Amino acid sequence: MLRFVLFRLLQSLVALAILSVVVFILARATGDPLHMILPMNASAEDYANARAYLGLDRPYLQQYLSFVGRALTGDFGTSIRARRPVIELLQERLPNSLKLAAFAMGVSLAIAFPLGVMAAVRRGTGVDRAAQIVAVLGQSLPTFWVAIILVEFVAGRLQWLPAGGADGLASYVLPGFTLGWFVVAGMMRLLRSGMLEVLDSEYVKLARLKGVAERRVVWVHALKNALIPVVTFAGIYFAVLVTTAIVVETVFAWPGLGRLAYDGITSRDFPVIQAVVLVTAILVAAVNLCVDCVYALIDPRIRYAR
Amino acid sequence: MTKTNRTILLSLLVLAGMASPAWAQAAKSELTVALSSFSAETVDPALQGHNVKYYLSLMFDYLVGTTPEGQPSQAGGLASKWESSADHKRWTFHLRRGVKFHDGTEMTSEDVKFSLQRAMGKRSTTGYAGPLRTLIADIETPAPDRVVIVTKEPTLIIPTYLSRSLSTEGIVLPKKYIETNGDDVFARKPVGTGPYKFVEQVVGSHIKMTAVDNHWRIGVPKYKNVTFRLVPEETTRIALLRRGEVDVADVSRERVKELEKEGFPIHMRKEEAIIHAWWILGPDGRTPPTNDKRVREALNLAIDRGEIAQSIFGGYAEPAAIPMGLTWAFKDVGFKVTPDMMYAYDPARAKKLLADAGLAGGFSLDVYAFQLPGFPEGKAFAEAIAGYWEKIGVKSKLIPVDYPAFRKMWVDRKAPGAVGYYNIANRDWIGAYALLEKQGYTPSKLNDTVNDPEVDGMLAQVMRQTDREKINALMRNVYTRLRSEHHGLPIVFVHSPYAASKTLGKWNPGSVMYDLFLDELARK
Repeated sequence: MLRFVLFRLLQSLVALAILSVVVFILARATGDPLHMILPMNASAEDYANARAYLGLDRPYLQQYLSFVGRALTGDFGTSIRARRPVIELLQERLPNSLKLAAFAMGVSLAIAFPLGVMAAVRRGTGVDRAAQIVAVLGQSLPTFWVAIILVEFVAGRLQWLPAGGADGLASYVLPGFTLGWFVVAGMMRLLRSGMLEVLDSEYVKLARLKGVAERRVVWVHALKNALIPVVTFAGIYFAVLVTTAIVVETVFAWPGLGRLAYDGITSRDFPVIQAVVLVTAILVAAVNLCVDCVYALIDPRIRYAR
Repeated sequence: MTKTNRTILLSLLVLAGMASPAWAQAAKSELTVALSSFSAETVDPALQGHNVKYYLSLMFDYLVGTTPEGQPSQAGGLASKWESSADHKRWTFHLRRGVKFHDGTEMTSEDVKFSLQRAMGKRSTTGYAGPLRTLIADIETPAPDRVVIVTKEPTLIIPTYLSRSLSTEGIVLPKKYIETNGDDVFARKPVGTGPYKFVEQVVGSHIKMTAVDNHWRIGVPKYKNVTFRLVPEETTRIALLRRGEVDVADVSRERVKELEKEGFPIHMRKEEAIIHAWWILGPDGRTPPTNDKRVREALNLAIDRGEIAQSIFGGYAEPAAIPMGLTWAFKDVGFKVTPDMMYAYDPARAKKLLADAGLAGGFSLDVYAFQLPGFPEGKAFAEAIAGYWEKIGVKSKLIPVDYPAFRKMWVDRKAPGAVGYYNIANRDWIGAYALLEKQGYTPSKLNDTVNDPEVDGMLAQVMRQTDREKINALMRNVYTRLRSEHHGLPIVFVHSPYAASKTLGKWNPGSVMYDLFLDELARK
């Protein structure tokens, strides 16, 4: 098991090293940040001064080594746009993204579990069809549209819930639902198909023959074994929710990592872009590693295959 | 009641309890402003230009005050009066006594000198740092309440450069605090002399300030706290307004009628900006075919400005006539736009002009399409002007980019003849001169869009001239020349709407660029 973990850790480190090079190059390929921060009448001398001040006049290799060296100590440099240490910006934003992702995951679990189980148990009935519709809508309705509709009607017209900002539990509901609904679809389908497979298995039939109550058969015996792919899915999607909620964060004025990344990209803020991509990659790698480890623990065939 | 129904009811009660956040319920000792953009989000005035003034103007005072209408005001700045020597090379500013920074230290001439030197320093990225470096020879502090600015050339422009009507160079900063704590600490916890003290900034979310006990200019501020919230999505800003969570929000022109119907007061900043397009110059100036005056006129005549004002700007815009001409400056210098200066929509004459220029078969023209802060209609606008040009046979190619990419093409002169545009904030005559010096003056090189020796000569004289009447005449001549040579594509002046809560009361957002004069709203 230890060998397996170490191997996966090494794979993750190699991936991060490659990513650091890629993001360093791509960030600079987006353009010159000085065009964003210097006034229109800036002279060539002003450009040279700013370039020197921001350390952008150094050779690329030197800039890259400096970036990696400092990143290893948790120093991602200073934001070109906000002129504050990037680590401070990450410390402000990452917890907001984690909390929103956790809330959204909670919403999706709360919806997907009963729907998935009910759809499997009552296969082919109206309940099954209704669950399928919820799933299809969650995946097919554009997130920005759902977000705008919720803001316009639930927050603006009905005034039931806050329209934006990260202030109190109520402010999590609309962005959390918007993000969570998208995840519901995949999760519910996985659970439904897993449940269908398990409900048709020999040990479930035996439990029924032994007179175990149907509710217990479904929610205890069958659900437990149908959960494995769902747990994997939820783990991976949690990382995705943390890092890709740009649209939801923009519509709901949520100060999270997604908008930090977006602002960084539009303003050519290299240190911010690099930091967000690296932190995102570390998060995804960590979640993947955890999921792999859990999987390996559950199913020995995986670690022996390695 | 079944268990399920009880659960639903309980959930609804919990939601209802959560629905009204603390700041919506608080008494209106709070002022909350929702803006679509905070620009760079820096709270250090030396690190940004004009477009952070919305919030900086509450935390800091300027050396020279300005009325909401943009006129210099001896009552509104840290200098209670100022005068120049006979040769207009020494400007003496008399400072208000007893003004204290938020950390309790007293503001003196040393702070003014330090602030100005910092604004002109290498690290500064303010809008007019460059011209001030060129202009200022020395800064003297003969007394704690007196500062003398010595210029290399005679000039009238110093008070305006250091006023609230332009950029941030005139903001007075605490020398001792910055020298003791360093620039980085100041950028995180700024200290000024304004009516509101900095409390908190969460980049990408909000900036919070709290009132001083008593401010020399507005007395005891009406609002205990002021919060600027960054809300990029308009639907969300409007929902916040409807819920009473914000008091002021910038809104698009297309939502104005709907909000007015609902009873929200709309404060319109009239002619806040001109939408102005131009042709990128080549390394040696204009390139064919736009080096031909007839072609430039044809491209102007092909555009239906009235239709653009109606269809793209919802009727909240007026046709413009003078390239880089700003109406607030027109009043200052006595320039009148006559009916014959207005570009009529005349595609037939445009075609004839092209034929006269040997381009009856048309030509290819690249049009960059991008959006800008305060100009969300950017891409639709680019599509519209390209469409008009197609009608006279010009094969317009729309190139979608973001603004920084366009700006690079522009200043590097890598796309000669291609068209770009900007929403230029309206401003007074000195601000207008500064704009012309940036974009209409050949020696400014990088940003020049005109390249006309006659215009260059007049602009060079404005800087050296100290007779106001002669300056006015020169500025009028510059505008006349820009119009007669068709040195650009002035399209429309746009009005910018700000929606207010129904309880906000009387508010004059004024006509100073990037400044909403919210401190005047806080005056009891």
